[in-house]
Amino acid sequence: MLNRISPQTLRILALLAVLALVLLFFSTQVPNYLNGRLFNRISSSVAIMAIVACAQTLVILTRNIDLSIGSTLGFVAFATGSLITNNPELGPALLLIYSICLGACFGVVNGALVAYARIPSIIVTLATMALFRSALVEYSDAKSITTGNLPTWLVDFPNYKILTFGSYQLRASFLLAVVVVIIVHIALTRLRAARKIYAVGSNPEAAEMAGINSKRVVLTAFVLAGALAGLAGFMFLARFGTITVVAGLGFELKSVAASVVGGVNIFGGSGSVIGAFIGAVLVDLIDMSLVRWQLVSEFWREAVLGTLILLSVAADATLMRRLVAWRVAREKARIQRSTQS
Amino acid sequence: MSNAVLRLDHISRLFGMTVALADMSIVLHPGEVHAIVGENGAGKSTMIKIMTGIHQPSGGTIFVDGEPRQISGPQAAREAGIAAIYQEPMVFPDLDVTENIFISDTSAGLWVRPAEQRKRARALIERIGMKLDPDRIASGLTLAEQQAVEIARALSQDVRVLIMDEPTASLSAHEASQLRQIATTLAEQGVAVVYISHRLEEIFEIADRVTVIRDGAHISTKPISEVTSDGMIAEMVGREVGNYFAKAPGTVTDKTVLEVRDLTLDGVFEDISFDLHAGEVLCMAGLVGARRTDVALSLFGITPATSGNINYRGEDTWFSSPRQAIDAGIAYVSEDRRKLGLAMPMPIKSNISLATLDEFLSPRGLLDREREDSVANEYRERLNIRTGSVETPVGMLSGGNQQKVMLAKWLNMKPDLLIFDEPTRGIDIGAKAEVHDLIRDFVARGGAALVISSDLPEVLAMGDRILVMREGRQMGILDTGEATQEAIMSMATGQLEQAV
Repeated sequence: MLNRISPQTLRILALLAVLALVLLFFSTQVPNYLNGRLFNRISSSVAIMAIVACAQTLVILTRNIDLSIGSTLGFVAFATGSLITNNPELGPALLLIYSICLGACFGVVNGALVAYARIPSIIVTLATMALFRSALVEYSDAKSITTGNLPTWLVDFPNYKILTFGSYQLRASFLLAVVVVIIVHIALTRLRAARKIYAVGSNPEAAEMAGINSKRVVLTAFVLAGALAGLAGFMFLARFGTITVVAGLGFELKSVAASVVGGVNIFGGSGSVIGAFIGAVLVDLIDMSLVRWQLVSEFWREAVLGTLILLSVAADATLMRRLVAWRVAREKARIQRSTQS
Repeated sequence: MSNAVLRLDHISRLFGMTVALADMSIVLHPGEVHAIVGENGAGKSTMIKIMTGIHQPSGGTIFVDGEPRQISGPQAAREAGIAAIYQEPMVFPDLDVTENIFISDTSAGLWVRPAEQRKRARALIERIGMKLDPDRIASGLTLAEQQAVEIARALSQDVRVLIMDEPTASLSAHEASQLRQIATTLAEQGVAVVYISHRLEEIFEIADRVTVIRDGAHISTKPISEVTSDGMIAEMVGREVGNYFAKAPGTVTDKTVLEVRDLTLDGVFEDISFDLHAGEVLCMAGLVGARRTDVALSLFGITPATSGNINYRGEDTWFSSPRQAIDAGIAYVSEDRRKLGLAMPMPIKSNISLATLDEFLSPRGLLDREREDSVANEYRERLNIRTGSVETPVGMLSGGNQQKVMLAKWLNMKPDLLIFDEPTRGIDIGAKAEVHDLIRDFVARGGAALVISSDLPEVLAMGDRILVMREGRQMGILDTGEATQEAIMSMATGQLEQAV
């Protein structure tokens, strides 16, 4: 059985099992834990993080990292907010396109510096993280976007109920996130061009030898990540309404955490956005559950999160190594049998 | 013949001042296995890189199907139908076999059709006569299977010239014969197979024609039926030896420093036995893949051998870490200056003191910079390191001077036994002679030196005795008197083995 399932699928199944275990554990610890309120809160907050994690995954797959993703999100949220405040007549589609394109522009800056100026991505995006944030401070002119100035269609959108089962609500923002994740997943697994993203991250030298233009691939990954961060910025604006210069702060590290917990290899080449999505849910779920768990003080929440990251990466590495070793051993035995006969 | 699929015409290639290819011409026909043989450094790798578009020729013309053509990069090479596989396969470890095969598939369609691709993958694998599950992840494949994946990838792109560079060097006998079978099969299907190997018996088994190259130039191309192994070897080494390396007078004493008996590292090398005396230079000769470096790494404690005896200065010893070897007075000067030898951005003086930092400590436990300076300046003078100051970062020196800094670093340890791995690779002839003098000087003061070198004239000039290895086996030890380039080459290619 085990040999039919691909390591990727196995990883997702393991993550789902962990998710179930966490739910089970907290439901014994926290009274009145499993209910619609928990689902609604998690699904609203994870909607944005899921898209950012998806973006981060695209970059990590190419053996890079995007630390400026939170700043991009913040800038886009603010700029989109100020655009609609000044031009209330603008339609949803135009506004959405504006957000996405603006995010993509930030991605172009990152991608061009990493791919063509050959500066390591951790340095480039550490710098642009600060630069984009400063740009936001300058652009905002010490003002904030406030909910009152936003059109109601925008503010109402995230909590718009698509379906309701008792106290469980499927909200528009969560649905949008799920749809985006599924689209990116299908594109990554089935699109011919997307295979190159994996190739470049898996073995850059071999990719070059195979005639793949790795510079263009890396640039594309950053631009797509920027565009997704732009979309997340739009959703951030819609959800919170009030945008200050610290919008999206901390998203860069949380998105890396979600990707890594979700089984995306930090050295590139393997991982899926479904995994990153579940990783985002897991991180958020644990974070939110710890608030309600009396045993752990406020101050230890970060430590628990850190431990989770270490554990998941260690477990993943061990499991995958075992799996590969087991398959190799089996294969060797098969060869031995066939040469003997 | 007019139906040549690929022709190199008087191709040359310079790297700075170094001539990698002087005058290379070769004609490849569809349906032939064309073997290329030559010593280490004869220009084989450079030639492959030019055929596959990784390097551009400095002069000469490449013809594809009789038309002059520029192969501007790997993509262009693929379009011309030229592909190469190497000893170390280039696969994507995270992707499965099918994905690896079709990674750069440019055929029409935006979407991948997994079922159809898997079917095509299966057909390609079948075409080369392998058994391989197209769903397996590449990181779990054996080397031979990874090579098969690469060949299948080349076939999927309608390869017409397949270059195999030492494909069997790291394979087991069974896998190697499988791979040779693939080469023959492909030739029968009309592919021009370029087969590069140090194993002459392989070449006699599968090649249709053999080209000998030497010093970056074409020497001869003959049908296999007109070639003998002696003739091939003579052509491979037959350069004018010249007397640019003078033979230094021997300083060998009777004092045995190192006695190695039946040293074996399972699956890597076996039964290596030799003595090394104070004042002696023992050279290890052999071709790429002879496992000479592995023997050195075992002696130095990096990869301890699995069986055998090492007697060092009259005591049975067994080093299981480099620290132990260093403490016992053994130094190993690596062939890879960049990776294992020098800290390129650090100044000369810091590199020299790096292996012996304890000596440079002041009583207060800080580094004594003045002593560092004076020691570095002493070596600068003695080894003739050409630099304005010992503060210069090593990365800014020429290859020869870098090599001298590396020597200074290890000489400062005042070792009894120095192991040199390719001490003069990539440095100019003047610097080579200086390095030779330094090694000679070292043994004249009572040290013992083990020198691994692929440069035959150097081996003949330096070595008091010459140990020849081939694929992990010791083929024999030659004294200065009986050593000739031909004798060494015959042993290194497995045509001759000394009775023990």
